[in-house]
Amino acid sequence: MPVSLNYIFKRILLSILVVIGVIVFSYILLLYTPGDPAVKWAGNPRGPEARKAIEIARRELGLDQPIHVQIAQFIYHVFTGNLGLSIAYKVPVSQVITSGFTATLELLIFTYLLAVPLGLWLGIYSALRRGSRFDSFIQSLSVVLASTPTFWLGAIIALISYSTTGFLPYGRVSYKLATSTGFNPITGFYLLDALIQGNYAVFLDALLRIIPPALAISVYPIGVVARVSRTLVAEALLEDYVRSAVAWGVRRNTIIKHFVLKSIIPPVIQISGLAFVYSIVDAMVVESLVFGREGLGSILLDSLHKADFRVTIALAIYLTIFYISVNTIVDIIQASIDPRVKI
Amino acid sequence: MPPSLPFIRLVHRNLRKYRFKIGLSITIAILVLSLVSQYIAPYPREGLGYVPVGEESRRLLPPSPQYLFGTDTLGRDLFSRVIMASRSAIIQAFSVVFLSLIIGLIVGVLAAYFKGLVELVLNYLTELFMAIPSIVIALFFRLTLEAGFHVVIISLVTTWWAWYARITYVYAKGVVELDYVVLAKLSGLSPAKIIMRHVVGVIIQPILVQAISDLGSALLEASGINFMGLGLPPGYPDWGVILYEGISEMGIIAFTRAPWLVFYPGLFILLTTLGFTLLADPLREDLDPRLRRRWKLWF
Repeated sequence: MPVSLNYIFKRILLSILVVIGVIVFSYILLLYTPGDPAVKWAGNPRGPEARKAIEIARRELGLDQPIHVQIAQFIYHVFTGNLGLSIAYKVPVSQVITSGFTATLELLIFTYLLAVPLGLWLGIYSALRRGSRFDSFIQSLSVVLASTPTFWLGAIIALISYSTTGFLPYGRVSYKLATSTGFNPITGFYLLDALIQGNYAVFLDALLRIIPPALAISVYPIGVVARVSRTLVAEALLEDYVRSAVAWGVRRNTIIKHFVLKSIIPPVIQISGLAFVYSIVDAMVVESLVFGREGLGSILLDSLHKADFRVTIALAIYLTIFYISVNTIVDIIQASIDPRVKI
Repeated sequence: MPPSLPFIRLVHRNLRKYRFKIGLSITIAILVLSLVSQYIAPYPREGLGYVPVGEESRRLLPPSPQYLFGTDTLGRDLFSRVIMASRSAIIQAFSVVFLSLIIGLIVGVLAAYFKGLVELVLNYLTELFMAIPSIVIALFFRLTLEAGFHVVIISLVTTWWAWYARITYVYAKGVVELDYVVLAKLSGLSPAKIIMRHVVGVIIQPILVQAISDLGSALLEASGINFMGLGLPPGYPDWGVILYEGISEMGIIAFTRAPWLVFYPGLFILLTTLGFTLLADPLREDLDPRLRRRWKLWF
C-alpha cells in the first residue's frame, strides 16, 4: 500500500480541526448576530411561557459562564448529538437531522450511481472521437447544461412528466399506497426498505418518484465527470506508454481498458467526491420546493419559517461534518490507489 | 498596435473567436438590459413588486401581446418583472465575485509569500470556510437579519473567497520561489511592492479568467438561495424570487397551470450564466495550453 499511516493521520487531524473550527464559528454566529442568543435558541417564543423558555435556553447554553467554557460545552453537545428538542418538530434535533440525511442521501446516492458511470462513458467516448459530431454535440450540451439552474430543470422535468403521462412526481412515496400495503420504513432509504420487505408496488412508486429529481441533479455530476475524463483520456492517449503499447501491437480495447482507464480512475474518484458535496445543496433546493420530498431541504425551510435555531445550527454543523468526511475519505482513497500522490 | 495590458491583450486576441463573440453579446445585452429595463418595462411599478389592486381578472393570464410573458399569481406583468430582475442578477453576481476575489487574492498571496505560521493559519482558515455550504450561512443570516442583498452577498462571499485563496495560493507558490522574486527580495524591495508587481502581476490572468467564469456559478447559487426564500424579500424583482413565488404560491401545480411563471425566469438565468461561461472558456483555453485542441492521436 503506497499510502502511509502518517498521511492518513495528518489528514484526519486536519479534518477534526476544521470541524471544531466550524462548530466554534457557528457558535460565534449564534452569539454575535443581532438578537439575544437565549431568545434565538428558544426559537423566539411568544406568550406567557416565553420567559420560562428563554430561562431554560439560557441555562442550556450556559450563557452565564465564561465563553471558553460555553464553547467547550457546545462542542461536547455536538459530538454527543445532544442539542435539545427541535422547536418546529418537538423531537430531538439529532433525530430530525438523521431522518433528513437518509432521505437526501438516498436521492444523492441514486443519482450518483447513475451519473458517474454515464459521465465516464461519455467522456471516454468523446475523447476517442475528438472533433467528431458526437464530441462537439456532447461538448456544447455540457456547456449549456452546466449553466442551467437545477431547480428550474427539475420543474421542467416535472412539467414534461405531467403533460405526457399525467404523473406528477411529488413526495417520496404515495402515502395511500404505503399505508395500504403496510410499508414500514426501517433504514429510511425507501427503495432499500421496499426491496427488503418485498413490497414491489411501493418500490416501483418510490422509484418513479426518485427518477425525476435525480435526473435534474445528475446534470452537474455527468457534466463534470464527462469533461474531466475527456481531458484525462485525451492526455493519456498522448503518453509514451500508449505509443509503446500501440507499437507492440496491443489491441485498442485492451489499451483503453487496462492502461488508459486505470490511469484516470483516481482523479475521477476525486472529482466525483467534490461534485457529490456540491450536489447536496442542489438536492436540498430541488427536493423540497420542486418535488415536495422530505429531506434536508424541507428541514431547512421549516427551520426558517419557525425560527428553529437549534435545527439551523445542527444542520450547519452536521452538514459540514459530512462535507469534510466525504472529502477526507476521497483524499485517502485517492492517495492509496494513486501511487503518484506523494505526501 | 495591440494594447499593452496583458489582460486586455488576452481579450483582444480572442475577440475573433465565435464562442467569445456570443458570450460577449449575451453579457453586454444583459448589462444593458439591467440599466435600461426600468425605462422599457411596460409596467415598471409591477416590475418592482407593486400588486395591482382590484384586478383579479388579470391573474395568471397566459402570454399575449399585452403581457408578453403572461401574468403571475398576483396579476403582475411577468415580462416587466423578469427584465427588471436582470439588475439584481448583475449586482449579486458581480459583487459576490469581486469581493471574494479581493479577499481571496490577499489571503492566498500572503499565505504563499510569508511562510511558516502565517501560511499555516491562512491555509487552515481557507480549508475551514471552503467546508461550509453557503446556503446554511444564508439561513443563519436570514434568521437574524432582514431580507435583502446583504444576506445573499455576505453568505456567498463567506464561502467563496476561500476558492480564490486556494487557487491564488497554488499559483503564487509556484512563483515566489523563482529567482527573480528572490533577487527582488535581496535587492531590498519592500514586500508590498514585490507582492504587487512580481507576484500578483504575474499570476493575475488565470485568476481573473476563473472569476469571469465564476460569475455564472455565483448567479446560479444566488438564485438558488433566493429560490429557497432565504435571500431577497418576496416581491423583489429577482429571477430566483420570481420562481419561488411561482412555485410556493401554488405548489407544484404551478407548472401545470401556468408554465410561463417558471419557464421565463429560469430561461434568463440560463442565458446569463451561459453568457459568462462562453466568455471565459476561450480565454481559459488560451491561457492553459493543455486545453488547446492540438491533439495528434496514435490510433
